[in-house]
Amino acid sequence: MNMNPSLDVEPKSQSFELDKRSVYKCVQCGTCRSVCPVFESVGWESANTRGRMLIIKSLLEGRKPASDVLPSLATCTTCGICAEKCPAGVNPPKVVEAARAELVKQGVVGEGQAKLNNTLVEFGNSFGEQKERLHWLSQAERAALPKKADYVYFVGCFDSYRYPEFAKKTFDVLQKFGVTLLQEERCCASPLLRTGFLESAAKLMEHNLDAIRKTGAHTVITGCAGCYTTLKNDYPDEFRVVSVPEFLAEKLGSLPLKKLKLSVSYHDPCHLGRHNGIYEEPRKVIKAICELKEMKNIRENSRCCGGGGGVRIGYPEISLELAKKRLEDLPEGVDYLVSACPLCVRNLRDAGGEVEVLDLIELVAMALE
Amino acid sequence: MPVNAYLIDELRKILGERVSVSPSELYCYSSDASQIRGLPDYVLRPLNTEEVSRIVRLAYENEIPVTVRGAGTGLAGGAVPVKGGFVLDMSGMDRIVELDIDDIQVVVEPGVIQDKLNEVLKPLGFFFPPNPGSSAMCTIGGMIAYNASGMRCVKYGTTRHYVRDLEVVLADGRVIHTGSKMLKSAAGYDLTQLLIGSEGTLGIITQASLKIVPLPKTRKLVMAAFESAEFAGKAVVKTFSSGVVPSACEILDRTSLKVLKRYDPKLVLPSEGDVILFEVDGTENSAQEAAAQVMEVCSGLALSLKLAESEAEMAQIWAARRLVGAAISRLDPTKSRIYVGEDVGVPMKQIPKLLEKVQLISEEFDLPAMKYGHIGDGNLHVALFIDVLKEEEWTRLKAAADKIHRTAIELGGTVSSEHGVGAARGQYMELQWGPAFEVMRVIKKALDPKGILNPGKLGL
Repeated sequence: MNMNPSLDVEPKSQSFELDKRSVYKCVQCGTCRSVCPVFESVGWESANTRGRMLIIKSLLEGRKPASDVLPSLATCTTCGICAEKCPAGVNPPKVVEAARAELVKQGVVGEGQAKLNNTLVEFGNSFGEQKERLHWLSQAERAALPKKADYVYFVGCFDSYRYPEFAKKTFDVLQKFGVTLLQEERCCASPLLRTGFLESAAKLMEHNLDAIRKTGAHTVITGCAGCYTTLKNDYPDEFRVVSVPEFLAEKLGSLPLKKLKLSVSYHDPCHLGRHNGIYEEPRKVIKAICELKEMKNIRENSRCCGGGGGVRIGYPEISLELAKKRLEDLPEGVDYLVSACPLCVRNLRDAGGEVEVLDLIELVAMALE
Repeated sequence: MPVNAYLIDELRKILGERVSVSPSELYCYSSDASQIRGLPDYVLRPLNTEEVSRIVRLAYENEIPVTVRGAGTGLAGGAVPVKGGFVLDMSGMDRIVELDIDDIQVVVEPGVIQDKLNEVLKPLGFFFPPNPGSSAMCTIGGMIAYNASGMRCVKYGTTRHYVRDLEVVLADGRVIHTGSKMLKSAAGYDLTQLLIGSEGTLGIITQASLKIVPLPKTRKLVMAAFESAEFAGKAVVKTFSSGVVPSACEILDRTSLKVLKRYDPKLVLPSEGDVILFEVDGTENSAQEAAAQVMEVCSGLALSLKLAESEAEMAQIWAARRLVGAAISRLDPTKSRIYVGEDVGVPMKQIPKLLEKVQLISEEFDLPAMKYGHIGDGNLHVALFIDVLKEEEWTRLKAAADKIHRTAIELGGTVSSEHGVGAARGQYMELQWGPAFEVMRVIKKALDPKGILNPGKLGL
């Protein structure tokens, strides 16, 4: 599939091409069915990974796609626990993303997804916000941002517009290490890549790439798991991509962290953990500050918060149910649940548990006070 | 069958929103893990016996095929609605109704997942022994309907040995119990045993009372590697005749070994040869003694012998073993494992001969074959793998599978040891059973006169 030859930037991975072989590797054993969190909540066979693979197979074999495939293909959070468990080595989230791209090409798009695409194209952020992305900085601070730097802090839509306090706290810490910001940052394109709008995604990527290149940075740092996996795996390999937990873990020695008398638990964001193997770094940072009591399912076996893959926007009830289920994994007697992704934080907060949910940077900021 | 407004209306009265005729949904229920395909006309998700009974009554009155499905992990198309009609997805009936430790049994609904039941039983010191490779996802209802077993049946027996009572919805919607909580009964025909393994052709299981057994104090695992599968087979026969009853006795041929090592390079397995995994269980002393005896018996025949060092090591090996069948594409990404001819069984002493014949068939049809399985009970899983995009390889595959089935029957064995007949092996029933198959036909006719229960299965 040639996405759009007229654009310079294409997602670098080949995973957006629907490859028959990767679909036929599935032997329909049902291992994924036993771990798919969406299936647990929905109950229909079409809402588990094996069902999705079967539907995709039928499309590859010539069945004309219609809107009835959407409740199946659009409800995958791309959490990747199926890929982790699949004995045949299939990577279903990649297959699902490729199938979504095919559906978009053929005009089969859900209402929520279409709206998201339009919003991103029009506003460059997923919330349709019109205010400046760096509104959380004063005019003077913005003007003082270095044009050239070794490090760029890529803020992301969530921290820019929903959690500017996370952005501020992150920037306060990172600034000491010579970090700048992109004046013209736009959405990294993660929501579009996950939901199949490759053409719109390429435009955003091209824009951001250009802005990053201008800074001359060799490293891009981000506090959002969605931005992280996108910058790392879908953008060209022109710079190093580091998550905030990785950066903090690396710089622990130079951070004057106080020990806090707290006990916290940690939720592994799927796109940081399973998709990129970042399990240890956030734990290292937490343990440098306070006690860590693990949740029931962690690391490779972590349960999805339900926020990813476009599900939060397209199917909010499913998304919320998954978040509530995830909160059941919390151990007794913790003061906070910490995560390292604003989307996870948002979804878990919306689930309304008794334990307050923090972003890792908030915990770090508490220890730096 | 076109969607019928009357039926939809009636079904919605029974199930509300738990009825689907969406083409995508129907497609997802058109297969299991076998190669059998068949589209249902309606997918139904009942939550209790009353709903099942009302659905079946509706089907009976309107002569609509009814196919029951658990997790759809079957390997013979048993849950595939080859004649269309209703598919009943029982996975929502997943309550453990009663844990009756005093009577050493549990009462469960059919949608309970095998592993989940054992997770609940473990802290109480008990377990439900039949453990198919799919135990993490398969349902108890499916296990009963297909008399599933798995690695430990060599010592503990198959699902058949653990069912005391079934609640069953008959073809006309009536609900009966086939047994009781009693350990034994000498009153009349044993309908429980008749229903077990009947693959949904005689009635629909809506509840089951299952015997459970105390967990053994410890398990030990001996790994023995042999120069050839023939030597491995001999070692198994010798072990059993020496008086040891292993709690599992599994063969992994050299190809399976390679696949497992590719799946998880950290696995502690012998580096070469055809491997037998002997597990023994009991008290610390008895298991130690049995493991020593296995090692002594095998010492003259094996290339290498090793005792697993820890429970974690054992658990890792068994977890990988359970998934070996599906993991073949780790070895060659262009190949997929196709489940045909995969479940034959022969009397134990015929195992070396079966292994030899399967090897010849694999060479004759030029198809790589991975051989693994429960050698201790004569059950060999032959994994044939092909490039699914090449039509010609499918033709050779089917011919090879046919020959494997016929070979098993010739050796006095069976075309299916634990996966069932479904729609994949019906053509061999006459050959395997002779006149006894006619008796099965008569039973089917008596219990399902309109032929609505899982039609097209068991060769009936």
